[in-house]
Amino acid sequence: MKKLINLLLTGVFLVASLSLAFVSHAQEGKMMVLNPLGAPPPIPRVPMAPRLDTLTGKTVYIVDTQFPGTKPFLEEMQKLLSEKFPKVNWVLKDKRGAYFDDDPKLWAEIKEKGQAAIMAIGH
Amino acid sequence: MPTAPVITVAFEDVVKGFALDKGMPNQRFTFVPHPIANIPAPTCREYLSGNDPVTGKPIVQEIIGALTGSLTEEEKKTGFIERPIPPRLIGPDTEEKLQRLFYADGWTDGLPIVLPTEERIAKMLKGTSRRPDEVVGKMQASSVREFWSYTVEKVAVNAVMAGAKPEHFPVILAIASTGVPSLFTSTTSFARMVVVNGPIRNKIGMNAGIGALGPFNEANAVIGRAWTLLSKNLGNAGSPGSVYMGSHGNNLNYNNVCFPEKEESLPEGWKPFHVQKGFKPEESVVSVFSGHYLIYGDALQNSRCSPPLGQCLYHELLKVMMQNFGSIGPYRTVKATLLLDPTVARRLKDGEGFGTKEKLQQWLKENTFMPVWEYWVSYPKDFQAAKAGVEPLASWLKLPAETIVPISRFDPPKPVEVPGRLLREPISIVVVGGETLPVWYVGNFDYLASASIDKWR
Repeated sequence: MKKLINLLLTGVFLVASLSLAFVSHAQEGKMMVLNPLGAPPPIPRVPMAPRLDTLTGKTVYIVDTQFPGTKPFLEEMQKLLSEKFPKVNWVLKDKRGAYFDDDPKLWAEIKEKGQAAIMAIGH
Repeated sequence: MPTAPVITVAFEDVVKGFALDKGMPNQRFTFVPHPIANIPAPTCREYLSGNDPVTGKPIVQEIIGALTGSLTEEEKKTGFIERPIPPRLIGPDTEEKLQRLFYADGWTDGLPIVLPTEERIAKMLKGTSRRPDEVVGKMQASSVREFWSYTVEKVAVNAVMAGAKPEHFPVILAIASTGVPSLFTSTTSFARMVVVNGPIRNKIGMNAGIGALGPFNEANAVIGRAWTLLSKNLGNAGSPGSVYMGSHGNNLNYNNVCFPEKEESLPEGWKPFHVQKGFKPEESVVSVFSGHYLIYGDALQNSRCSPPLGQCLYHELLKVMMQNFGSIGPYRTVKATLLLDPTVARRLKDGEGFGTKEKLQQWLKENTFMPVWEYWVSYPKDFQAAKAGVEPLASWLKLPAETIVPISRFDPPKPVEVPGRLLREPISIVVVGGETLPVWYVGNFDYLASASIDKWR
């Protein structure tokens, strides 16, 4: 019986508290609103590919991803890297299509003939 | 394979976001100054010999470092990156402070919103028979970003914020179901357009007449606005600098050119837009488009019509308008949408013999021309191919620069070359307007998708 009374008193207390809180918020002109944001999904991690010990003797592709007007920048990159690292084979290659197009053939070529790649992105 | 991403610094936030989306938050980026397009070789050399503007380390050293050396424990990690789920409720707080919070956190379009209280959401949810927890669709800010999915309740929250009423809600749900964001990760400031067809247009009081594209009608305004709010908040498409990259932005995104087709004024034989896309006339449908701009055409004020040539006034002007689309660039993805006042549509039908929209579309495809010089400027790779002897381009090199040549620019030469990119009708025609003047808009809008509204009632 005592337990029942305690339970009832607790319930009355909670209802009263919530009502007071509501009245209090209302009196202060406060309101609760719904969050408009969606839920970002969990992202599966992709471990990065192991790096090389050295680039000496290796072939590194510099890929022109076809951002318009950036070819001279990549040509200069190839020149500069060739000057600084002459024992590395720096190959400049165009990706087909526009910058948003895939080029599976080029990726296959890089996998077959290269050991690393540089991808340039930006206008 | 070890790969070094070399990025211009203007894209720092956006590529870090991409890397996170792809599960590689520790990508070894090298940043270079921006822009790098069309700068002279000595400047390129100067940039490359300098320091990464983000880390302050030499750029060459950063590139080599990205390709060599052991991986850190963070770089080797597998599993999942969990992100906190936003709480369902916010507050309690004052209306003024909540308005400021919604704006400061980037959840609005800069204009005041209707605060989404439980009571208002409950009312909005009465506009559909769907359950609040039902998934409406999924959206990504661009083809390389992650998909976010969203429920009926979440769309309702954004619909309330836009000022929508329950009767507008099925239209907004249909737009959300397309998964197309109104804001798009691109430097080119895309706009969107949404056309409503079917009986619901009149039932909810949309305006297809005088001022249909202007700020006059509640349904046109709030439905279009809701698309942008839900794209920002449910598709993660609206953070300037990290997701949204449009250099100027686009004013059309405020309500995404939302209007209904004036089906009642279509000439006999001209199908409503949704019927052209395979829906029944009695169905209510939204159709969404992507583009950048609208150009105004006024037949009475700018007539270049020359009757002895047998060319009709409208053909000639439409042709001129269409020629403006050559400057889009080298991607051959140019599309066009015509928004014709009913008076123009009737003239085209009765005076020029275009018995259907399809006949007009075909005529425009077959009669769109551009001067040779413009073609070479627009398509520099074809210019190189012409110089290398590839026909028919090589023959065009012999023509005077002002020669007009037929260019089927609306039909890409290799339409199925890119897997997954379907060839769509390159020209869309919608009839709208108040018949106060025979005018039209032509825009570079590309039809993307249609969705049933009735499914969301």
